[in-house]
Amino acid sequence: MTAKPANRPLSPEQLGHFAAELDALRARTAATLGQRDADYIRAIVAAVRYTGLAGRTLLFVGAIGGAFLPLLLWPACIAGTLLLALSKILENMELGHNVMHGQYDWMRDPHLDGKTYEWDIAGTGDNWRKTHNYQHHTWTNVRGMDDDVGYGLLRLFPEQRWKPFYLLQPAIAVIFAILFEWGVAIQDLRLGRWFAGKVNNATMREQFRPVGRKMAHQVVKDYVLFPLLAGPFFLPVLLGNIVANVLRNLWTYTIIFCGHFTADAETFAKASVAGESRGQWYLRQLRGSSNLAGGRLLNLLSGNLSHQIEHHFYPDLPANRYAAMAVEVREICSRYGQHYNTGSLPRQFGQVIWRILRHAFPSRPAEPLSAAASVASPLTGAQSSSA
Amino acid sequence: MTAPARLKASRARRPLQRLVQTLVGPAAFDFWASKLHPAWSWSRPLAKIVARHSESRDSVTLLLQPNRHWQGFRAGQHLNISAEIDGIRVTRSYSLSDTPRPDGRIAITVKAIEGGKLSRYLCTTARVGDVLDLGPAFGEMALPATPGGSLLFLAAGSGITPLMALIRNLAGQGMPVSLTLLYWARSREEVCFADELRRLAAQHRGFQVRFVLTRANAVADDECQGRIGAEQLSALVPDAVQRQVYACGPGGFVDTVRTLLAAQVPQFQAEAFTPPPRLIEESGTVQVTLAASGQTLSVPRGQSLLTALEAAGLQPASGCRMGICNTCACGKRSGTTRNLHTDVVQHEPVSALRLCVSSAASDLVLDL
Ligand code: FES
Repeated sequence: MTAKPANRPLSPEQLGHFAAELDALRARTAATLGQRDADYIRAIVAAVRYTGLAGRTLLFVGAIGGAFLPLLLWPACIAGTLLLALSKILENMELGHNVMHGQYDWMRDPHLDGKTYEWDIAGTGDNWRKTHNYQHHTWTNVRGMDDDVGYGLLRLFPEQRWKPFYLLQPAIAVIFAILFEWGVAIQDLRLGRWFAGKVNNATMREQFRPVGRKMAHQVVKDYVLFPLLAGPFFLPVLLGNIVANVLRNLWTYTIIFCGHFTADAETFAKASVAGESRGQWYLRQLRGSSNLAGGRLLNLLSGNLSHQIEHHFYPDLPANRYAAMAVEVREICSRYGQHYNTGSLPRQFGQVIWRILRHAFPSRPAEPLSAAASVASPLTGAQSSSA
Repeated sequence: MTAPARLKASRARRPLQRLVQTLVGPAAFDFWASKLHPAWSWSRPLAKIVARHSESRDSVTLLLQPNRHWQGFRAGQHLNISAEIDGIRVTRSYSLSDTPRPDGRIAITVKAIEGGKLSRYLCTTARVGDVLDLGPAFGEMALPATPGGSLLFLAAGSGITPLMALIRNLAGQGMPVSLTLLYWARSREEVCFADELRRLAAQHRGFQVRFVLTRANAVADDECQGRIGAEQLSALVPDAVQRQVYACGPGGFVDTVRTLLAAQVPQFQAEAFTPPPRLIEESGTVQVTLAASGQTLSVPRGQSLLTALEAAGLQPASGCRMGICNTCACGKRSGTTRNLHTDVVQHEPVSALRLCVSSAASDLVLDL
């Protein structure tokens, strides 16, 4: 892999200025929130509803109409499935993920309320708010604190201890991608601790109840009720729903993995975040995140996680502002000599795949050079992971 | 609604409703329902404006047609009304100015307040056909089940609205009481319901009305002038202390009436409309009322509310403690807060106040 881009070491004072500039950008943006942001998110809601309706209708047309007019079956079912997948992707990413961050709470619309929003996916909104909004966003890429580092399943950084189990990870990563929503659903249950006997059955049952209820709701909705509406022609509807959900899983997995597991993304030791200043926090978010350069369609379909860096700086600001903020963020980063990790989707995802393959085998952090760099850097625990 | 309450309600729903809820969910239902009719909703009380007429120089009455989730009210009560202004839902309390009607419609009379976001919007921008959000009716002021004896109503400014509902209610019962209304307003042009009040006074011998102007000269027989005081009161209503008194108006007015009459009269009910506090202080302490648990605590200004509440022995939910994860967010019903990062001051009620990065700038009521 290419050599790690050098980051200029910043003194505490420079870091303070760095943070102040980023805070000022936040304040400037927050002060202008209003009608156009409300219009934007309502347009997204409408897009989710209309694509969902069109997708489901086409599936019925394909299933029922196709029984009488076979010509109709495949085109209608394929179009319906794709539209349904699009609807779910928009709902999960640009709507659900962003609303659950509280990005639109300032509107005080009860349907766009960050604390109560429930999304169209197997995992509960409440679990997500904990594992993602709190753990992942606060402890981004801190090993042992941010569960998203490999999801307790994959070894993506050489700092994670190697076990023979990881030899299977290329296959496991594919299965995980296909079943991503179910992985997210059980993430907070920490089944590993239960298997190890550290959590008793009663506690696990208690924790599983809301998770199981949400899973059942999704299964009943997508795999029982909607197919049943097509009566004897349920099969194409059922398959269409399954495929739409899997397409959504693959896409969300791709986007999320590109956000933190590209070649230049760094992980951090627990010790490095103790007593972290605001400037150091910003710097850690920057070094642990990577953007996707792709334009407006990619921004929309990725829920603006194509601006992962801006999202990690300002998780509570409306995502429709990230594109404009990115121009300034990038400029600030370059003035302070900090690497701004961005690249096309194929490039970034290629790096993710490389990590999955490479770290299935034993690997060691590239020591001497980056160790020196990280001593000079304020993030003393930061370690390069380009292996 | 709390989670168990919501669960119970959803269990009680009929199977068809449960089916719809599973297939589409309330948010999607509301989206599609609003395409068919702007005030249809799965569970939220909404109302369409069906008529508006101006009541005085700076007040309008809006006649609203609520949907089926509106639970009704008693004359003399208030409700919260919300409308979206520049993308932000703004909520204020207004009094219902009419008695419950057979057609289910409700009326509010709104006075445009200087700098008042929602009142200005309702008075000038809101149109017939627009939809407003309703909260449940609240307020203790009410007539006895079988009214009798003699009553004195004291209204100042927009304080007339709940009293107007009571007057209409009494008139509807044929005025079974002896009632005097004293109604203070700055000028004749600001008096609401003048024609109707005069007509009722002419129709019902038991009902008398006096308009008291504070910044204009009295001309008509039923007008007089001057601010409220003991002398004025005993001149206008010599038997005031023998009457059941209902007073409504700004805080200062209600306080004056309370000192003058509360201790002497057989029955005293009052409600004050207090404008939101605008005074910002940095030091000292404020009272924080936790609406859900009914506790009141004294916390220092200038400190993060999360820290302050924890210091008081509470354990509000928290996560990052730096304003990004939204875990600590809770509703603020009233009061002023300051954002510790941005120094931005927020007077409005909000649904998600981040306790970890907000400090109290005035007394607060939180949904905790
Ligand atoms: S604790 Fe995370 S926003 Fe307050």
